[in-house]
Amino acid sequence: MLSSEELERYSRHFLIDGWDRSCQLKLKNSCVFIAGAGGLGNPASMYLAAAGVGKIIICDMDSVELSNLNRQILYTMNDINLSKAESACTRLKGINPSSEIIPLNKKIEDAVDMISGSDLILDCLDNFTSRLFLNSVSHTNRIPMVHAGVSGYYGQLTFIIPGSTPCLNCFISENTQASSQAITGAMAGIAGSMQAIEALKFLTGTGEVLAGKLLFIDCMTMSFSTMKMTKKPGCKTCS
Amino acid sequence: MKATVKLFASLRTGRFDLSEIELVNGSSITDLLELLQIEQKEAAIIFINGVHAEYTSNIKECDQIAIFPPIGGG
Repeated sequence: MLSSEELERYSRHFLIDGWDRSCQLKLKNSCVFIAGAGGLGNPASMYLAAAGVGKIIICDMDSVELSNLNRQILYTMNDINLSKAESACTRLKGINPSSEIIPLNKKIEDAVDMISGSDLILDCLDNFTSRLFLNSVSHTNRIPMVHAGVSGYYGQLTFIIPGSTPCLNCFISENTQASSQAITGAMAGIAGSMQAIEALKFLTGTGEVLAGKLLFIDCMTMSFSTMKMTKKPGCKTCS
Repeated sequence: MKATVKLFASLRTGRFDLSEIELVNGSSITDLLELLQIEQKEAAIIFINGVHAEYTSNIKECDQIAIFPPIGGG
């Protein structure tokens, strides 16, 4: 059931085509695991909490640094040197007290038991090694995952459905290294917000997710392109 | 033989977005990267006709190749 306060809080959702009270209840009963509380995880978690996702697990082992504040908009100067997961939890509870927020101040590799109980994973990480580990957990536990990555003015996004779409390892090799730490806050905001959109569509059953397609966002020229992908024959993770 | 090559993000700088490239029969992705003066570590994601390709993958007439740099920040 939705309370009268919830009906008012989410009233603008009910104006969206196909989004009725049952959709909102689905969100309320959902659990999303957000891997990474950085530039992507910040906007994604804020929008999911605000939208009424019932349980959000946010995992990050790092503490807030001054150089994070150009993009990680959950944090303020008062959070410097504090745990990202704990600081994010405090802010997210302020945005929506009815969402249960579970902070995990640990490495993704040490959080597998918490991942396996979730309905959806958001890959908001910042390195390919951890991303591929998360991808293997998604595949093993058959939990869909929304992947996004950003660099400078560029971003990429795809929705992975284990057993159905290409997995991350179908198009990213184990030895891939990030070449740059360049990033604009707004770019991370766009990609993280798109992850939230994909999550909301999937959890409510509205719209069409980016399954089997890689969206490339070029904010240098403000152009978007989508490419269809197929599973890699012999993929070490999903074949 | 000819193949269509689409470059993304920083790989476009000083090169092109989309171009039809003339290649010697039997050319591989490595050959193409050398021709375009792209270091292998800068070509993180490569697709031939929507399927992930390796550096050693052979290119065929009319293949559609897409090359992305590593975009893994977050």
